Amino acid sequence: MDVLYYIILLPIVAGIILFLLPERLKAIKALFALIVSIIVLYLGFVVYGYESQTVQLALVPQTAADGSILHELLVGAGQYLTLNIDPLSQLIALFVGGFAVVIAIYSSRSVHQKKKIYHFYPFFLITLGSAIGAVLADNMLLFIFFWGILGFTLYKLIKGQDEKSSAAAKKTLIIIGASDGIMILGIAIIWQLTGTWNMSELDLATSSSLEIWAFITLMIGSFTKAGAFPFHSWIPDFAQHAPASSTAYLPASLDKLLGIYFLTRLCVDIFRVNQWLTLILIILAVLTILTAVMMALIQHNFKRLLSFHAVSQVGYMILGIAIATPLAVAAGLFHMVNHALYKSGLFLSAGSVQDKTGKEDLDDLGGLSSRMPVTFFSALIFALAISGIPPLNGFASKWMIYQSIIDFGHGSGIASQLWIIWLAGAVLGSALTLASFIKFISGIFLGRRKEAFDSLREVNILMWLPKLLLAIVCIGFGVFATNWVVPGLFESYTGPFEFVGVWQSSTVSLLVLIYIVLGILIYLAGNIRNMRKADAYIGGETFYETAGYRVTEYYNTIREMRPLKEIYETAQKGWFDLYVLFKKLFYGLNLLFSKVHTGVMTAYAIWIFAGFIIIMLLLL
Amino acid sequence: MSSLVPLYVILPLASAFLIPVFGRLVKGFQKALLTLVLLFLTILTFHLIFGGLKEPVTYQVGGWSPVEGIPIAIYLVLDGLSAFTLLIVNLIGLLATFFAISYIKRYTAQNNFFALLSLMIAGMNGVVLTGDMFNMYVFLEIAVIASYALVAFGIEKTELEASFKYQVLGGIASLLILLAIGMLYWKTGTLNLADISGILKEEPPDLFLTFTQILLISGFGMKAAMIPFHAWLPDAHSSAPAPISAMLSGVLIKAVGIYALLRLFFNMFALTYEISLVITVIGALSMVIGVFLAIGQWDLKRLLAYHSISQMGYVVIAVGMGMILMVQGGDRSVAALAIAGGLFHMINHAVFKGLLFLNAGAIEYVTGTRNLKMMGGLFKSLPVTSTTSLGASLSISGIPPFNGFFSKLIIIVAAIKGEFYLLAILAVLVSIVTLASFMKFQRYAFFNKSTFSKKIREVPFAMSLSMVVLVVLCLALSLLIFPGVREVMLTPAVDVLMETSNYATIITGM
Repeated sequence: MDVLYYIILLPIVAGIILFLLPERLKAIKALFALIVSIIVLYLGFVVYGYESQTVQLALVPQTAADGSILHELLVGAGQYLTLNIDPLSQLIALFVGGFAVVIAIYSSRSVHQKKKIYHFYPFFLITLGSAIGAVLADNMLLFIFFWGILGFTLYKLIKGQDEKSSAAAKKTLIIIGASDGIMILGIAIIWQLTGTWNMSELDLATSSSLEIWAFITLMIGSFTKAGAFPFHSWIPDFAQHAPASSTAYLPASLDKLLGIYFLTRLCVDIFRVNQWLTLILIILAVLTILTAVMMALIQHNFKRLLSFHAVSQVGYMILGIAIATPLAVAAGLFHMVNHALYKSGLFLSAGSVQDKTGKEDLDDLGGLSSRMPVTFFSALIFALAISGIPPLNGFASKWMIYQSIIDFGHGSGIASQLWIIWLAGAVLGSALTLASFIKFISGIFLGRRKEAFDSLREVNILMWLPKLLLAIVCIGFGVFATNWVVPGLFESYTGPFEFVGVWQSSTVSLLVLIYIVLGILIYLAGNIRNMRKADAYIGGETFYETAGYRVTEYYNTIREMRPLKEIYETAQKGWFDLYVLFKKLFYGLNLLFSKVHTGVMTAYAIWIFAGFIIIMLLLL
Repeated sequence: MSSLVPLYVILPLASAFLIPVFGRLVKGFQKALLTLVLLFLTILTFHLIFGGLKEPVTYQVGGWSPVEGIPIAIYLVLDGLSAFTLLIVNLIGLLATFFAISYIKRYTAQNNFFALLSLMIAGMNGVVLTGDMFNMYVFLEIAVIASYALVAFGIEKTELEASFKYQVLGGIASLLILLAIGMLYWKTGTLNLADISGILKEEPPDLFLTFTQILLISGFGMKAAMIPFHAWLPDAHSSAPAPISAMLSGVLIKAVGIYALLRLFFNMFALTYEISLVITVIGALSMVIGVFLAIGQWDLKRLLAYHSISQMGYVVIAVGMGMILMVQGGDRSVAALAIAGGLFHMINHAVFKGLLFLNAGAIEYVTGTRNLKMMGGLFKSLPVTSTTSLGASLSISGIPPFNGFFSKLIIIVAAIKGEFYLLAILAVLVSIVTLASFMKFQRYAFFNKSTFSKKIREVPFAMSLSMVVLVVLCLALSLLIFPGVREVMLTPAVDVLMETSNYATIITGM
């Protein structure tokens, strides 16, 4: 079981050591971080092979004698250090390791460049160790400890040296820290009810009000981490201002894995969720899907566009987990993994584009496909996957979610009665996702290229290889979804299930491939190549750059449509952002209390006597 | 062992008199002497906590033994709680003094500064150790009068105004305390805490006693800056020189405020439900209102000062919950947990708030401003200050792995377990607002764009070292969560408060 110590402590200790190395030795730091990540991934495979069990770690080294000070001080600490090895935690830990390796490769090149962050690698490794610690922890205090550290490292992975990025960093840590504080309430309530800190020993019905509060507070924690409505508002700001490797690492992959991991634990293992809570979860899920994708449609900044999708997709995962049948949970988890794959890939692609061009607005770009072919290809795969185009992985998991919603409709709960609404919301969300990714792909890679970008070159191999890897995994997970991937990864946790609809991913993929090949053959064989080229008819006018329409402009129709126009305007003012609302409230209270503090000493003296007299009136 | 106890008072008191005499003759005498004295006392306290102090130690001043069970001499009592508080006083005192070695170069009259500082520490050590009501008052006055002078040390307009307000309001509080002491003496005919407690035990609680208790709550409540007795604090704490702010916020309000309240209400009076409730409500008010006052401040030290009110609120609600549970015959282990959380938060607050004030001092030292709007981009030029202040900010906001997380965790868990749901929710809310206002501090001071045209250098070595030691302590105190460490440091202090009558037994021997 020593592996369990190493997989958590090795990255953390390595991270602390890296603090000591000077910033100049970047290459060494990057290599070191990569090696550690690879070791952790390997250890993740080792842990994946373990039997399901709970393990109690002893913090005291075996060598310390009974009387030594070290022993004295640390004895008894072991009761907090219980870990839970089960198929779910093994799976998540494995993926955490995998993403760390991919991002480590990418960042070894990109972090050197303009947007430099101090101590990127130390915090990268501490994040890795804490994430694995949070996933494996069984004791809730240990869990919240690691969970909280992740908020802090997230804060340090953004460079706050101008107004906007420092505001984003501040907002991120405030929201994450607030949710951690709220989770402590839930953990304490569970302790009060059951007397145990261990998640594996819990099985709570959500019938009493305390249990419901415990569920809601913990749910807020997982929602915030994963970035679901209405606790999502840190993600767009963070993603817009942080470098691509930070965004791809935490909000796009690790935070999703952890947030959904914890939600699964809550809904499947710790609580038996009652029908009203299920209804709330599903409503929030559908709202997350639709509101975020609507916001994504109108974005011009491509990083912000991606980040709203990072919110929107969470809705599908929550939908799956809330329905909580084996098929649905597997669907939710599968979608979580898929999303982490393609979304981190998308952020890395966006980062590469930004690195090369220095632009982050869709209006300033275009036609990069021939200049950056690998980035284009992988971004296209990711975009098709996230939009749910068969046979890619995004389709497979969305299809499973649709199936489980239809299946859920046979149930008797209040949420089951309304299944058709949830299904409609999910499908509509998917369609709108496709719509906004058409904008993303054509805005950056297609269309007419600006002259400034004519001499652009593809990014370094260290930066395109991770994307290619992710793209291949995306394709693989889609093609082999029903026969290997889903049964292999998820059935050991959820228990056996059967697909409701018929979908043989490999067969269909084969058909798709055949049609593509046929298409190419027809293209080559036929005389399609002998097409006629002609200029567009523009009424005899001279062609100006301004006469064209940018792809983003097509989406202005949505923005101008009633009543969406008003809604967008309110959203832009921050009325749907809890952070902004609470900020207003807090500053209002501050004004209220500050007004009383006039600085006049006699008033202060009167307060003392007033307080004294009030207490006296109460007690005497 | 017991002969070492008076050193806590004698050494700083002696150095307070030696400094003005020899400080003129020998260069650097004042700095070296006070640092050495405090270093010695800190080491002594560590030694006592980690091994020396198995049993509580008493020392009879003048050597007079009790006659027929009636104590005659003034007693100095060193038990778990006083050792714990002494650790806070002397450790933070040491680091603040070390910080002051470089910092005080901005001022003239260094001898006066160090003499007053050691007088203040002597007073606080006296309050913590003494077992005599009037003696406590005397030491209290020594400490606070020294602090009045220190607040006005810069003798500029705002500093004098702050000191004046502090003196008047502090004078009112001292008057209330003195009145209470007089009434107790009238009632019981003795000033010894143990003796009073023995006599009160036989008396039924009456209005007279309740009135005395209200006087004491108001008086010490003002020293501890509890709302509505807090109004002096933001001015005084922000006007003093930075090391003194650190001492005032980090130590003084605890030693002469919270500690005295705890000692008197747990070990002298019999606990009653009404008084416990009043204390808890005052704590909750301070916690909530203090933080809302803090979040809108743009003067860095004022922001920190208001947070002291709020954080002391945490300590008071934790102890108050413990009191209520003990009075109502609730689960004693939960009461112990709540009190442990409160004391843990007290030492944590001393460390991180001390550090934050030193950070503020360092920033003021290099930039000359305390206004957050005038700062920005200091991250690059002040690496030590910014790193340490980030640690302290995360501590006070309760982000793991820093110490503040654990003490807040214990307080919240104890509140839920004791079914004080409202307090638990308020504690979380206040923690969130605290986080928000410290993120504001971090953002405006260290991030953003730099607004300074002149070149800014990191502060001198002595200042940096103090800050680094404190941030290491912020991390190291997290170890108190482990049962082994807790047994040694925290549990003896908690036991003093849980076993309310033990204190009297130790002194009178009955």
